[in-house]
Amino acid sequence: MDTPLDTLTLSHFLLTGAVLFVLGVIGFVTRRNLIIMFLCTEMMFQGVVVSLAAFSRLHLHVTGQTFVIFVLTIAAAEAALALGLVVLLFRRKRTLDAEAWSQMSG
Amino acid sequence: MDLEWAKLIPWIAALGAVLCGICCMNRRLRKLAAPVCIGSLGLSFLLSVLVAPGVHRFDPQMPADKLAKAHVVKAFEWIHVGGLKADFAYFLDPLTVLMLFVVTGVGTLVAIYAAGYMKGDRGYARFFAGICLFIFTMTTLVMADNLLLLYLGWEGVGLCSYLLIGYYYDKPSAVAAAKKAFIVNRVGDLGFAIGIFWIYFSYNTVSISEVVRIAAAGDVPGTDSAKTWIPFLLMLGAFGKSAQLPLYVWLPDAMEGPTPVSALIHAATMVTAGVYMIARLLPVFVLSPYALPTVATIGGVTALFAATIALCQYDIKRIYAYSTISQLGYMFLGVGALSAVGGVFHLFTHAFFKALLFLTAGSVMHALAGQVDLRKMSGLRHKMPITAILMLIGCLALSGFPFITAGFYSKDLILASALEKGLSEHNPLYTVLAVVGLLTALLTAFYTFRLWFRVFTGPVEYEMGDQHHGDEHGHGHTETGKIRVVHHHEPHEMPWLMNAPLVVLALGAIFAGFFGVGEYHGWVGGSLDGSTAHIAAPGHGDTAPLTLLGMNLHTAMMVISSVIAIVGITAAAYYHWLNRAAAEQFAERFPRLVRLLADKYYVDELYHAVIVKPLRVIGELCYVFDRLVIDGLVSAVTLVPKGLGWAAKCAQTGALQGYGLGMAIGATVVVLLVIIKVL
Amino acid sequence: MDYTLYIASVMGAIAVYLMMPRRGFTPRKIGALLGAVTLGALWLILARSAGVGAGMPGGAWTYYYIFSAVAIASAVRVITHTRPVYSALWFVMVVLASAGLFLLLDAEFMAFAMVIIYGGAILVTYVFVIMLAAQSSGAEDDAAAPVYDRVAREPVAGVATGFLLLAVLLSVLFQPMQPNNAVASDDQAIIANVLTGRAEERLTQQIRDPKQQKMYADAVAKPDRLTNTQRVGMDLFAKHPLGLELAGVILLISLVGAVVIAKTKVEAEAAHSA
Repeated sequence: MDTPLDTLTLSHFLLTGAVLFVLGVIGFVTRRNLIIMFLCTEMMFQGVVVSLAAFSRLHLHVTGQTFVIFVLTIAAAEAALALGLVVLLFRRKRTLDAEAWSQMSG
Repeated sequence: MDLEWAKLIPWIAALGAVLCGICCMNRRLRKLAAPVCIGSLGLSFLLSVLVAPGVHRFDPQMPADKLAKAHVVKAFEWIHVGGLKADFAYFLDPLTVLMLFVVTGVGTLVAIYAAGYMKGDRGYARFFAGICLFIFTMTTLVMADNLLLLYLGWEGVGLCSYLLIGYYYDKPSAVAAAKKAFIVNRVGDLGFAIGIFWIYFSYNTVSISEVVRIAAAGDVPGTDSAKTWIPFLLMLGAFGKSAQLPLYVWLPDAMEGPTPVSALIHAATMVTAGVYMIARLLPVFVLSPYALPTVATIGGVTALFAATIALCQYDIKRIYAYSTISQLGYMFLGVGALSAVGGVFHLFTHAFFKALLFLTAGSVMHALAGQVDLRKMSGLRHKMPITAILMLIGCLALSGFPFITAGFYSKDLILASALEKGLSEHNPLYTVLAVVGLLTALLTAFYTFRLWFRVFTGPVEYEMGDQHHGDEHGHGHTETGKIRVVHHHEPHEMPWLMNAPLVVLALGAIFAGFFGVGEYHGWVGGSLDGSTAHIAAPGHGDTAPLTLLGMNLHTAMMVISSVIAIVGITAAAYYHWLNRAAAEQFAERFPRLVRLLADKYYVDELYHAVIVKPLRVIGELCYVFDRLVIDGLVSAVTLVPKGLGWAAKCAQTGALQGYGLGMAIGATVVVLLVIIKVL
Repeated sequence: MDYTLYIASVMGAIAVYLMMPRRGFTPRKIGALLGAVTLGALWLILARSAGVGAGMPGGAWTYYYIFSAVAIASAVRVITHTRPVYSALWFVMVVLASAGLFLLLDAEFMAFAMVIIYGGAILVTYVFVIMLAAQSSGAEDDAAAPVYDRVAREPVAGVATGFLLLAVLLSVLFQPMQPNNAVASDDQAIIANVLTGRAEERLTQQIRDPKQQKMYADAVAKPDRLTNTQRVGMDLFAKHPLGLELAGVILLISLVGAVVIAKTKVEAEAAHSA
């Protein structure tokens, strides 16, 4: 082993970020509960945010962290609206199943 | 007065048209349309009169021998493309001035008459807007300095004619007549347009003054075929617009329009545009050895042809329409005999008496609530004495009653010119045409007075028509007209608002002839000296005066045509006044001939069978082709997006996760592509 | 090396698939074990491929492995748990673990903002909505949960796609960066010697206002320089004023939108069986 485990590299953090992102994608695709699906998009945000922070550290440049703030903003806005809509949908059909809303099929 | 003012002549009329158009919008403004129209036309006429002396002045800028009295006034630049230059420029020479007098003068009088005639009509303001627009386009036509502008005016008057023939647009026959007029004119205008193109290609200019100068000098750069065929193409346009054989069929139908329109457009002004155009471009026509004989022949044949039809018609407006065609034939005969003075002189006098005749016919119709059938009116002299006298004057002028009417002098000039040309050049064609002209004169006198005697003499009998004009003079009925009280009102004399312009026209019908009498054909001849119409005419007095029957040719012609006119009038008086039964008996002896004439030689039916029906069939075929092939192709093309859409539709499951999966796969592919590129 | 990566990806995919909720038996423990092995193997591969050092302080690496493992494990639980409330709570764990990673990355402000906003505000909203929309079943066992929570939808396709994406991403991350590569060594040199101070220099140069410049210069002159929060603030307000404004506008709009949505009255349709 050329490099021991105790040397952390950028790739370590990117790995974690990528795994979080991919798990978010899998969750979005496989889960059928609308709320969980939105939760999974938040998890994808998490993956991206970790990557951003890692790049920020690599370049010693805070703009990466500034972007995280924007991501947070969007996440908050999305959570507010999306959850509002989910509640609306739930009130109409009394279910959170995403497949209940497939009238748009061609 | 400065010639620059001439620019305003068309545009005052255009302004009048715009103002009348504004008057259309409001019910209360509508009544203002007539004064606006009369005012603008009157102003145009006044300007024409004021400008005239300036035109007759000698212009040192122009070459002394040719076009000595031609002036060009440029209003604004219009089209400058490559070598093509066509400005809104006005060409002023004595011929223009003469035409302006006719157009604006008769236009003003007709507008005054129409102010009374059209009273109470629904489209009062629309009518006057059309009249103003017509005067704008007609003055543009006669003042145009280049052929393009002339063509603009040419099409403009065609449009106005269409609009005004179809004035009663809720009447199917009027709409059909308007379409017919427009479409028949297209045939002629196509020839005219091609002629203009060809002139541009061979003369390299569309300016009338230059074209005429080049043609008069004889050094046309084009080939012989250009020289020969350009006049024929132009002629086609003239025959269409001036209703000559074989394109005359639209004019009788055009009588569906209001009578003032018939008087102004379809008798006095627009239909003479063809004569004007040939007179204007006479040097171009002279270049072709066959052009002018053709013009003269068509004119002579049309004159006779239309006169025979007029003999057996019963619709008073149609009789005058055929009479107009016949008289236009005379004008073409005159121009074709190289007597542009004769043609234009007849145009000038004809404008007066034919407008007078139409307007008096309009008065009769007005009095009889739209009745136009000759058989249903008689003895109206007692009801409408002034109209009777006015129409008598018009009829005398039309039939060429000797010495006291304008028509006598102008018709005589044409016939004498034709005969002179025929005898001096030993050209039998012109001699025959002169004889045809004399025969036509006989028929003209007969059918003209047939009408007059039928209408105004004999026992007082009449049958009202079915058009109750919503008038306000004398005998009103309910204002709204919702409940039509069938009232048997008496035929009545017209108010002086309508009779005053007729009196002016009648004076013109009598005295206009004296403008063309005397040395060098008097004022008309003298004024045309130095215009484009004149430069091609032979010089005066360089040949020995011809004699006929031991007299000077002109004198002899006067004697002959006097006798003919009086014979015609007498015959008409016998058959249609003194002994109407004799006319019936006479007609019964030739039933087939009468039938043929009454049915107008079946020309309309012939055209319908030969031209209209095949075109219809082609149209149907095109429709089928369009439906099956073109539409089929388009539908076939639409199958592609339809199929694509159908394919894409399958991917639209509506399941949220499905879309998410698609996005994830897409993202994967994108990243993969990026990596492959990087690696 | 590539093969090992792909094998690891496939193993991870199998692991997640095994843990996916389904009808009948769910071999969750086997999956967890397989996942842990895969993760460990990935780390080992990573250590061998010698990336660019991020300049961590000495003992930080242990924390990285701990936080990272917690974050990934919690993420797996988020997507595999059959009860939404627990998913949300596991997501809080993800947020907390990534906050720890942020601390390692010298992003203290972000770490706390994460915990407060995500773990606090947003997640509370989620839990609140889950409560609001929950079926009225008091039972604690999984069987009581609605079927759409208990059974994953097309897990094979989803997992396969996800790990295909991961494999592609990892093949980028694990690019062998050779130490003798000139560019890489240059990069290392630059990062070691120049870049550390670059941020401040840039910032001081870009500030035009002399007053601010002085303040900044003073701050730079100090041995500890700026704190992370100060830097983020400087960056945010000095360089991204427009973005900041837009973010504010978006928040306002979403506020209004949320109010409108909340006030919308809907009729319940006929009961829809999931």
